[in-house]
Formats: sequence, C-alpha cells, structure tokens
Amino acid sequence: MADMVTQRAHYSPPWADVSIIGIAAQGQDSFYKSLDEEASRKAFRNEYDFDSPDAIDFDVLVDRLRELKAGKRAEIPIYSFAKHAREKETTSIYSPHVLILEGIFALYDPRVLELLDMKIFCEADADTCLSRRILRDVEERGRDIKGCIKQWFAYVKPNFEAYVEPQRKVAVMVIQYIERKLIEKSKSHRAALKKLGQGSENDALSENVILLKQTSQVRGMNTIIQDIDTSAEDFIFYFDRIAALLVENALNNIYFESVTVETPTGNKYHGLHATGETSAVVILRAGSTFETGLRRVLPDCKTGRLLIQSNIRTGEPELHYLKLPHDIRTHDGVLLLDPQMSSGGAGLMAVQVLVDHGVPEDKIVFVTYFAGRIALKGLTKVFPGVKVVVCTTVPDFEERWVESRYLGC
Amino acid sequence: MASSAKPSQSPKQSVGPDYRPEKQKPTATVSTEVPFENVHTLSQTPQLIALLTMIRDKNTDRADFIFYSNRIIRLLVEEGLNHLPVVEHAITTPVGRTYAGVMFQGKICGVSIMRAGEAMEQGLRDCCRSVRIGKILIQRDEETCMPKLFYDKLPEDIADRWCLLLDPMFATGGSAIMAVDVLKSRGVPENRILFLNLIASPQGIENFAKKFPELRVVTAFIDQGLDEKNYIVPGLGDFGDRFYTM
Repeated sequence: MADMVTQRAHYSPPWADVSIIGIAAQGQDSFYKSLDEEASRKAFRNEYDFDSPDAIDFDVLVDRLRELKAGKRAEIPIYSFAKHAREKETTSIYSPHVLILEGIFALYDPRVLELLDMKIFCEADADTCLSRRILRDVEERGRDIKGCIKQWFAYVKPNFEAYVEPQRKVAVMVIQYIERKLIEKSKSHRAALKKLGQGSENDALSENVILLKQTSQVRGMNTIIQDIDTSAEDFIFYFDRIAALLVENALNNIYFESVTVETPTGNKYHGLHATGETSAVVILRAGSTFETGLRRVLPDCKTGRLLIQSNIRTGEPELHYLKLPHDIRTHDGVLLLDPQMSSGGAGLMAVQVLVDHGVPEDKIVFVTYFAGRIALKGLTKVFPGVKVVVCTTVPDFEERWVESRYLGC
Repeated sequence: MASSAKPSQSPKQSVGPDYRPEKQKPTATVSTEVPFENVHTLSQTPQLIALLTMIRDKNTDRADFIFYSNRIIRLLVEEGLNHLPVVEHAITTPVGRTYAGVMFQGKICGVSIMRAGEAMEQGLRDCCRSVRIGKILIQRDEETCMPKLFYDKLPEDIADRWCLLLDPMFATGGSAIMAVDVLKSRGVPENRILFLNLIASPQGIENFAKKFPELRVVTAFIDQGLDEKNYIVPGLGDFGDRFYTM
C-alpha cells in the first residue's frame, strides 16, 4: 500500500488553480447569510442592512473558492429575496478556467484577497448607482420607491463610504496577467501529459491493464476494423461486435458476491451476483461508438456523458460538457468508454472528473478498443486503482481514427 | 457407463480477476473438468457465472431469461468461431500503418435442433450476418423411448461448410448424436462440426467424446450429472419452455 502511494504519478487537471478575478461592483448575492426571524422581519421592512459586510457569509465564500482553486466541484448557495433565506437547491460549479467573483465586498475579506489573481474596482457615480438601484428594487423585487430611498441614505451610502470605497486601493487591473497565466497553465498541462509517458517505454504494463485474448476471431475482426478498405457497413458491424465483447470482459472487473439459487427442477446452484449497480460514462464524441455494444450487454444501465475535445491550436484536451447520473458515487462499477487512447490526455481528464464526483478509483473500469502503451502506462501510474480493458495496443501512440471511421466524418 | 463420469459434487472455487487477492474473490460452483481434448469450456469468469446464476434461478422471468441466455449464447458463438480456420492477411490501416492480420476462411452454416436450438439462432446471427441456418426436428418416440428424426431442412451445399450445431441443453446427448449422424450422412466430415451448448452433463460429454472423437464441443458449463428423469442437475429446467412458453 505504501508502495502504491509513493509510486503514484501526479496529475493535475487544467482547471486546478483556477484564475479568480474579483470585481467590486453591484453584483450577485449568492453569499448573503440566511436571516433569522427577527432579521427577516427587519428585512421585509427595509430596515436590515444588506450593504454591510456582516450580511455576507465570508466563511462559506472562502470555502467554496478554496474548493474551486483545488479543482474540485463547488456548490454555490442560492439566496431567495422572497424568503430571505437560502434555497435548498444550489448551483454547481466545476472545472472553470477563469472564475469571476462579483459583489460589493469582493475585495473585502483578506482570505478572499489571498485567493484572487486579479482585483478590479468598478466605479460608477452615485447618481447612476441610486437610479439603477431604484429601478431594480421596484421592478424586480417589488419594493416601493420610498423604501428604496430610505435604505439608500440609512445603509447603502454610509456603507459605501465606510467599506466599499477603501477597497479601491487594493484593486489592480492587469488583464495581461490572466492571459499569461492561462497560457502558462496550458503549456505546463501539456508538458505534464508528455512527461507522464516519458521514461516508461521499458516498463511493463500494469497488471490492471487487461488485454482482450487475441483469439483468431479477435484478430480477424481487428483486421477488418483496421483495414482502410473496409466498407462503413462492415466497419460498424464488426466494431459493434468487438465493443460488446469488450464490455462483457470489462464486467469481470466489477464486484460480485456468492448467492445460492434454486433451479426449476428443485436443485440448488451456488453462483454469483453483482453486489451493486453498474453504470457507464461515455467520453464524447468517440465514446458514443461504444453505445451499441454497451446496450447489447447492459440495455438499461445509466449512462453519463462528458465531452472532451482537444484544442485545435494547442492539442490540449478541454472539458466542454458534463452530465453524470446523480447517484454515481454509490455505484459499484463505472465503465468509462472511449474507443481509442491516443496521448491519453482525455482519458486522464475523464478519470479525474469521475474521482472528483466521488467515484472511488477501484470502481472505475476504463474500456477502450485501441490504445498506445505510453498512454496506458501514464493512466495506470496516475490512477493505480483503475482497471483498463483494451483490445489492441501499439507501442507509442497513434492519431485518433476509430470515431471518424465509425461516424463517417 | 454413465456412472463412471459422475462426480459427487461439482468443484467450488474463488472466482475473479487475477490482480485481486484470493480472499477478495467470492466462491462459486464452477464447471466440472473433463479429460477430453475436443471439449472446450468457456473461461469461468465471474460474469459468466453470474449470467448462469440468472438463467438457472427459477424466479427469473421470461424476458430476463431470454436476455441473459442470449448473452451467454453470443459468448459461445464467439468462442466456437475461434475453431474455424483463418489465413494470414496483411492490411493498411487508416493512419498508414501495416497490420499483419488474418482473414476468415471457409463457409459456415448453423444447424439448430428444434425447438430449443432455435433459441440460439439470434446469437449466431449477431456474430455472423446472413448466415444460412438449417433445422432438424428430433422427438422422442413414445413407444421405444428412443429419439426419432421427424424433419430436416439443410443447405444443399452443406458438405462444403463448417456446421455449428445448436442445442442449449446437452443431457444424454441422444438427439445430438442423431443430428450428427444426419450431418455426416449428408457428407459433412466430423471434424467440421462444432456442437454449441450452454449446459452439458458429464455423461453426455463422455458419450460424445467416445463416439465422435474429432467433433468439437463448445459449452459454457459442465454440470454435476443427470437425475433419474435424465434432467441435468442442477441444470435450469426445460430451456425451450422457459424461452418460448413459460
């Protein structure tokens, strides 16, 4: 176990160490504290001071910013002005590369300031502020003009002078800084991906990589699938057939327990059944080629989807879309489907996404048709608990071709 | 003669992938070993055992019975096809790499023993599109208690083809022996017949191995034995009934 921990290679997704821009301006109100009964009554009478830093739950704000900075998923509260309390629902934020924190106290708390990469102080003259505020409160929040003006002179203006204005001196505006940081991060992410494969040419594949038995049928199907002269119809038929075989093999790596059943003839059989639910996650667009094969084996399994595309200019994999079963952390097996591992960047990112959503490494089975051995070694070094089921390997790596053959474009 | 191959109990062992420690693998009853070279049993993986558990369970409904038996049948067909000949065949891949592959050789056909064998046709078609399928109807003669050939319809050029003989339950092997005799009488050499079945009895396997030493049997599981009514023990009941009418 100690060995496993020390040998594990490090992978940091490109959205870790997100750049956070703090803008001190009238903005979102997600982090207002829920009000107790008395404060709530005051709020409905326009006598509660929403414009004091005391109204903001900086502890929660700092926690959420730290989660995002670490590349984790964060649940952002939703504040209801109708109830003067937090809603039960939250807004999820995951994997942003740049995050904007907006609010009149964005630059107030020193713990927040520490997390910000860039600080902007947004200034508008008092007349503009007051008129905007009246329009917003009357039209959107159902207040009357008298109440708004009362609030302005009692709280908003004095608070601005006491707390908001002084933030001006910490604000620095350096757009170039963020741009430079993003380029640096993208470069170091790509370099890290490249480095993972280096020096491992002579290492044996991990025992967690299960190669499909190379029977004469498998070799024959491989020949048809890899032949550039194979018709689209034949390609799809044989790919679906091999995909079903790969999924059947992947299912040997989920968890089972002993069970005794009775047969119709009244005899007992001591067999096995799966301990829990198995679901699948396809890495789009290529992973969709596995779905026909998947449905032959598990017709009704829950299927999550995530879209990872390589940036055309840099080749860096980027996460564009993510939709997972809500209870995925409780599943006993999660098959991650991608027909081809080229550099392995997309696979690494996808496993990281599952881990960040609470799926334990040893419940993940990565299913792929064609993989470069460098990518396989990288993945199993970073995630030593993950199992990989693969049909064909090549020594180094190869440009992706499976999905364009299957999908015809 | 049947008693010589009857073990008192099928072997029980831990089942699971190699990388998992022995104590983390659950135990299950696995296929009985037999000493015949022409018998090929599917690898006893946890997933295969779980599928067999589903179809053996008397509480499994018909929809599930059909689905899970189809999955095993596909695995049987995939394994059966590995016994067909291939020839070396190099190709160029979409990225310009050369791959030293193989090409399938020889024509095939399916022959199902009615009615239970017909349940295996879909699995065969899933792997071999537009495969020709012949049928043989064999029923037990009420007077003699011996199997009797009632009907057969086979491809005309069957003598030039490899035959995949389909019957899910291989008990005494009475009807399968008759079916093989029919195929041989049409000119199919014994070594070009593959008999695919889900569950076999040690007695049936032994009868066959002695009578047709060159014919290959591919099965998912060899059970404990036969009961007094010649049903496989523990078996799964009447396959045809569970697939078609129950």
